[in-house]
Amino acid sequence: MARKVTTQRMAVNTVVAWVIGLLIFFPILWTILTSFKTEAQAIADPPIFLGFNWTFENYIEVQERSNYFRHFWNSVVISVGSTLLGLVIAVPAAWAMAFVPGKRTKDVLMWMLSTKMLPPVGVLVPIYLMFRTLGLLDTKLGLVIVLTLINLPIIIWMLYTYFREIPGEILEAARMDGATLRGEVVHVLLPMAVPGMASTVLLNIILAWNEAFWTLNLTAAKAAPLTAFIASYSSPEGLFYAKLSAASTMAIAPILIMGWFSQKQLVRGLTFGAVK
Amino acid sequence: MATQHSRAAARLMISPSVLLLLGWMLIPLGMTIYFSLLRYNLLMPGNNPYVGWENYKYFLTDPAFTAAIVNTLLLVGGVLLITVVGGVLLGLLLDQPMWGQGIVRILVIAPFFVMPTVSALVWKNMFMNPVNGLFAYLAQFLGLEPFDFLAQAPLMSIIGIVSWQWLPFATLILLTAMQSLDREQLEAAEMDGAGPFSRFFYIVVPHLARAVTVVVLIQTIFLLSVFAEILVTTNGGPGNASTNLTYLVYAESLLRFDVGTGSAGGVVAIVLANIVAIFLMRMIGKNLEA
Repeated sequence: MARKVTTQRMAVNTVVAWVIGLLIFFPILWTILTSFKTEAQAIADPPIFLGFNWTFENYIEVQERSNYFRHFWNSVVISVGSTLLGLVIAVPAAWAMAFVPGKRTKDVLMWMLSTKMLPPVGVLVPIYLMFRTLGLLDTKLGLVIVLTLINLPIIIWMLYTYFREIPGEILEAARMDGATLRGEVVHVLLPMAVPGMASTVLLNIILAWNEAFWTLNLTAAKAAPLTAFIASYSSPEGLFYAKLSAASTMAIAPILIMGWFSQKQLVRGLTFGAVK
Repeated sequence: MATQHSRAAARLMISPSVLLLLGWMLIPLGMTIYFSLLRYNLLMPGNNPYVGWENYKYFLTDPAFTAAIVNTLLLVGGVLLITVVGGVLLGLLLDQPMWGQGIVRILVIAPFFVMPTVSALVWKNMFMNPVNGLFAYLAQFLGLEPFDFLAQAPLMSIIGIVSWQWLPFATLILLTAMQSLDREQLEAAEMDGAGPFSRFFYIVVPHLARAVTVVVLIQTIFLLSVFAEILVTTNGGPGNASTNLTYLVYAESLLRFDVGTGSAGGVVAIVLANIVAIFLMRMIGKNLEA
């Protein structure tokens, strides 16, 4: 049982934690607020916290000037596409390793993980030249392929740790009760595997959405996802804080929301099951 | 039990993943090693003659390499120090009973979900800018001179930005580990007269050692490859002041189009990352047996 905590101590904890939490969150909050200001208000001296006229102008202007939604759509296609493609390749592998483990299953898993340790810059040159030869530079397809491959080990590992928790006895029990193989898969295994698969998908979309090495190096104007598009704000002309904020807010909002739903899976996915 | 038949089926199910990863690893890796032995510049077309170790000699004796290695170590070490110490403290704090714990946790982990280019540009412009940044206003308010962070302390500034991004990761993992701590053990120690400090150092710290190791190793893998944050804030400058190994290899290959030297640098980066990877793999492998 937890000890009784005095109200006073509770209050101190609460205040300290909220102050620190808000400080850490502040850059995000400030970005969101600034996205609703005019450019003049965004750099006003002294800074305006809340007392400004809220405007959606920046959002409209960002879209009109640079076709923002094209890049947003690129991000969606690349992150969702690479995750689903990865899932199709990974599910059979993770399934086989979890339910029909062999002598070398562990070695195979470790080897797969080791491919993740390869620093991307170590293979930048050949991938770039290959893409140039194959006409894959600045295409969504090219990025889907690369992101599928770099995230495949994580997908396999996450699925493996989830599948391994499905007790094999349940399958035997279902078989005893006369379930067919198809019935076994559809009615017994699938319902137990779906939550794990959903978490895996969520985490991988987050990782692919924010990937900023290959997306920056392999795309230009056409296939650039948001990571690369936002980078173009590093050499701006004129007043731009509010517009940068609007573009940033739209780029991080979907992932912030998804991320908050996947806190627990995040730990498991990013530590390859080493911390649960 | 697995039959001969199911074994064969399993092998078939695993093979696409294995073949793809094998191809992904061996083909580009082989090409990098091959290119690293050639004089190969995209700006000078022609036959690319074999030059042996020349590229390595050039890359490793370039003063920029020494600077990049020092910067890489400072970046990785600095971020690790800040995030691990901060993560332990924040984890301890969030593990205490309080009102609105769930919301505070959400606030703390949020930076992890911000894409690197966004967080770098937001920090660069809206906080660190010496004219319009919030830090400049703060300095002015306190009667201090505004400080041009990215010009005067570029590497420290990048360490700050990257730490902000990774502090949530360390916190989340250390908090998860703390929550799996056996409360009864702590209470028993308290009843036996152990004070808060000895409880922390003799029970909490050993329990956290494993999680800290995991955090350090995983972050190191990612931190060795920090790239976007440098690209959009300083471009590695001024001079080489904020160039890390990843950025240097990028600059050699895609800015100076020197494929040979870039590839040699790539091989060096792979060797470095592998040293870290060996330790990480051992940790995870041990866990797999448990």
